[in-house]
Amino acid sequence: MNTFMRWAGFIVVLFIAAPLVIVVPMSFSNASSLQFPPPGYWLGYYRAYFTSVDWLIPTWNSILIATATTILTMALVVPATFALVRHKFRGKGFADLMMLMPMAVPHIVMAVGYYSYFGDLGLVHSHLGVILAHTCLSVPIAFLVLSANLKGFDRNFERAAQSLGASPAKTFLHVTLPILRPGLVISSLFAFIQSFDETVVAIFISGRDAETLPRKMFDSIRQEADPVIAVISTLLFFVVLLGIAAPYFASALRSRAPKPSRPAAAH
Amino acid sequence: MGISLSKLTEKTNIWPWLLLAPLGIYMLIFFVVPLAEVAIMSFTEPKVSLANYQKVLTGALYQRVFLNTFVTAAFVTLCCLLVGYPLAYLMAHSKPRTAMLILLLVTMSFWTSFLVRTYSWMVLLGNNGPLIAFLEMIGFDKPPQLLFTRFSSTLAMVHILAPYMIMNIYTVMKKIDPALIRSAESLGARGWSLFRHVYLPLTAPGIANGSVLVFVICLGFYVTPVLLGSPREQMIAGLIGHQIEEFLAFGLGSAMAMILLVVTLIILTIYHRRFGLDKLWG
Amino acid sequence: MTNYLQLSNITKTYGHFTALDDVSLSVDKGEFVTFLGPSGSGKTTTLMIIAGFEKASGGKVQVGGQSISELAPHERNIGIVFQNYALFPHKTAVENVYFPLQMRGVSRSKGLRQAEDTLSLVGLKGFGHRHPKELSGGQQQRVALARALVFEPSLLLLDEPLGALDKNLREQMQIEIKRIQRSLGVTTIFVTHDQSEAMSMSDRIVVFEKGRIEQVAAPLDIYHRPQTSFVAAFIGESNLIPATITSGAGRTAENSTLGAFQYAATDILADGQKVTLLIRPEHIKLSRNPIEGRKNVRMIVETIVNYGDNALVIGRAGDIPMRVRMLGADVVIIREGEECCISWMPEAVFVITK
Repeated sequence: MNTFMRWAGFIVVLFIAAPLVIVVPMSFSNASSLQFPPPGYWLGYYRAYFTSVDWLIPTWNSILIATATTILTMALVVPATFALVRHKFRGKGFADLMMLMPMAVPHIVMAVGYYSYFGDLGLVHSHLGVILAHTCLSVPIAFLVLSANLKGFDRNFERAAQSLGASPAKTFLHVTLPILRPGLVISSLFAFIQSFDETVVAIFISGRDAETLPRKMFDSIRQEADPVIAVISTLLFFVVLLGIAAPYFASALRSRAPKPSRPAAAH
Repeated sequence: MGISLSKLTEKTNIWPWLLLAPLGIYMLIFFVVPLAEVAIMSFTEPKVSLANYQKVLTGALYQRVFLNTFVTAAFVTLCCLLVGYPLAYLMAHSKPRTAMLILLLVTMSFWTSFLVRTYSWMVLLGNNGPLIAFLEMIGFDKPPQLLFTRFSSTLAMVHILAPYMIMNIYTVMKKIDPALIRSAESLGARGWSLFRHVYLPLTAPGIANGSVLVFVICLGFYVTPVLLGSPREQMIAGLIGHQIEEFLAFGLGSAMAMILLVVTLIILTIYHRRFGLDKLWG
Repeated sequence: MTNYLQLSNITKTYGHFTALDDVSLSVDKGEFVTFLGPSGSGKTTTLMIIAGFEKASGGKVQVGGQSISELAPHERNIGIVFQNYALFPHKTAVENVYFPLQMRGVSRSKGLRQAEDTLSLVGLKGFGHRHPKELSGGQQQRVALARALVFEPSLLLLDEPLGALDKNLREQMQIEIKRIQRSLGVTTIFVTHDQSEAMSMSDRIVVFEKGRIEQVAAPLDIYHRPQTSFVAAFIGESNLIPATITSGAGRTAENSTLGAFQYAATDILADGQKVTLLIRPEHIKLSRNPIEGRKNVRMIVETIVNYGDNALVIGRAGDIPMRVRMLGADVVIIREGEECCISWMPEAVFVITK
């Protein structure tokens, strides 16, 4: 059983890994269509990406929208999470469930809703419309991360701060927020990525004026399979790799740093 | 201590309501209302009637798409399980360094955009791609069309959704007490019987979790089937998009969206009753 | 100054559950008072009410003659050391100690210097730059103590602060805390469920049970003159024998199995009153034959546990279970299953009326 599982596991590793790495050589290919292995290598499509307004504007739009979405999401989710984790009240179970609902609804359903609703409000083809929709979709993931962090938060930190003379506001500022910072950062990051990667709603409502990168990629793959997509995929691949590997490297570096020698004196 | 320190919150308190209000209002305006609009349109576009539902539920095209969607989702879920289980096993029972590398890979895959992974499969399965070249090499004169078929979209969806399955099963496997396996072995369970009677039941919660998640995501999957699938074998999300974009058939699209939504919610409600929805995304 | 801390008729209810029932207590300035009791007895709730983290349902708390019941926790000027220390993980040791000074508007340079001084007082000179996770459990404990003392609080509350430490370290910290407390003269409330901690550190012990105060007294008084059977059973080992006073004037009581007893001097009790007699195991002598001038009772030995230096003999006198403590070397005179004689002096018998 063990041997079978291990061999099967290794084959799956290849299955998972191959599509992730294949975009890297593709991005340096000089072929004008999807050809692998590439007939030759050049940097032409990188130049094309970094000089083409058609690609840079959607990239910029995506960054802008994801940033605004993150800020709005956190502004709404942080207080709500405190209410839901710290307080008991009637209807709390329902409220907890509602926080997760946007995750349960298929994005295509939301896309139909936003397409029609934002049409009525005049919000289609606008940055604001995409930000408002993305915020809604980012709420559950931000809430899940933050509430897990807040549940693990030891309230004795706050009691200690108050006993030491910190008012509730100062306690929040000097103690609660700094201790929760890792959770807030991860929560924001998840909200950002959720928005940056979101495709379906963006396809329907972003239009040409607020076109996001995923929408542009989707259209491009559907129509001509522009090789520039391989460039973007490679760039995104390395951004993700950096994002995931950075904490590993950081902890590896830290553990290698000289530890303060353990003192024998003080006990 | 006995009289718990957690009972500090007062009973009647307006604070939680004040803190919840901004998000609550936001969700009402930008989540509930658009959803309600879909529900309303399904009954009122182009005129007030049940015609949309009648058409969607009885029309041969729609029935075929619904059936295709379910079969595909079930098949993708099964494949994800077959693919995910051994990998989770490998991760849970390897040396820390190996396990961490595989975990890194799975996490990478998870965080890489659907679109990027879909594009990769276009390259891999394309007519000028490595798989076709390989098939030609081993003697296929005229290799079959791989791209834009049920095969290509299924394969890509399995690849894209497998990380959800893997992470769920891995979490459960990691928590299994090795002493439990050793004691089962000492009681005479070996090889496959150990797996079937001890290991598999212990990992069942992870399988259930992963399967529900993969199935539900797959039901409403838009991007990959549209880009990689055969136009003749659409899935429900693709058809909804098609109706809206091409024909501006809001009523029909909304009716299909409502059916998709209701089915999804039924599955998740059953799951919620048994396990609690917040566990699903781990 | 007497009555420095005054608790008057404190009650605390959660719905129908009464966590604290009419708790009153006064503590002198500079006194070290321990709240002792099993978990759920109300000792921590009382501490939290003094600190202001819980609101009493009734009664009031006064410090130095002023009511603090209406003050928020941060206005009370009370130092607390929590069981898990609650050191701020994002601040270094010295920044943790500086925190209360910072909240009181002391400038950073002056405050940090003062914090360093207080760290020296608790024996952590030179450790200020470390983060809590770079310190051992005992060191974290000292930082928490320094942080709770640096702003000269009117009260120091210690909530089971030694619970997380191993045995040797715990004994060192008991002595250390006592030393610091005495040198600063700060009025201290110490919560614990560990009776040896309570016995070794306190000026007075307050025994809690089921939301009430059972007894307030100095450690040895608690041990030798417990007011209730609960206190007698909770503190140390005890033999508790139900009895009826036969002659209050003659200080005799009777148990149906063991017969008549003489007991130690006390107020004269009414004849016929039901009482409990306490005999500490170390006051009982075990012998082969009866000893003249003592109350002698026959006991069947059931179990002997020899710890080396001392031994515990568990047996039965009639239907009454009895425990005897004796020197480890002396236990050879008896074997399990044998019958022997146990005896005690009248002074060893203490009457408990509640």
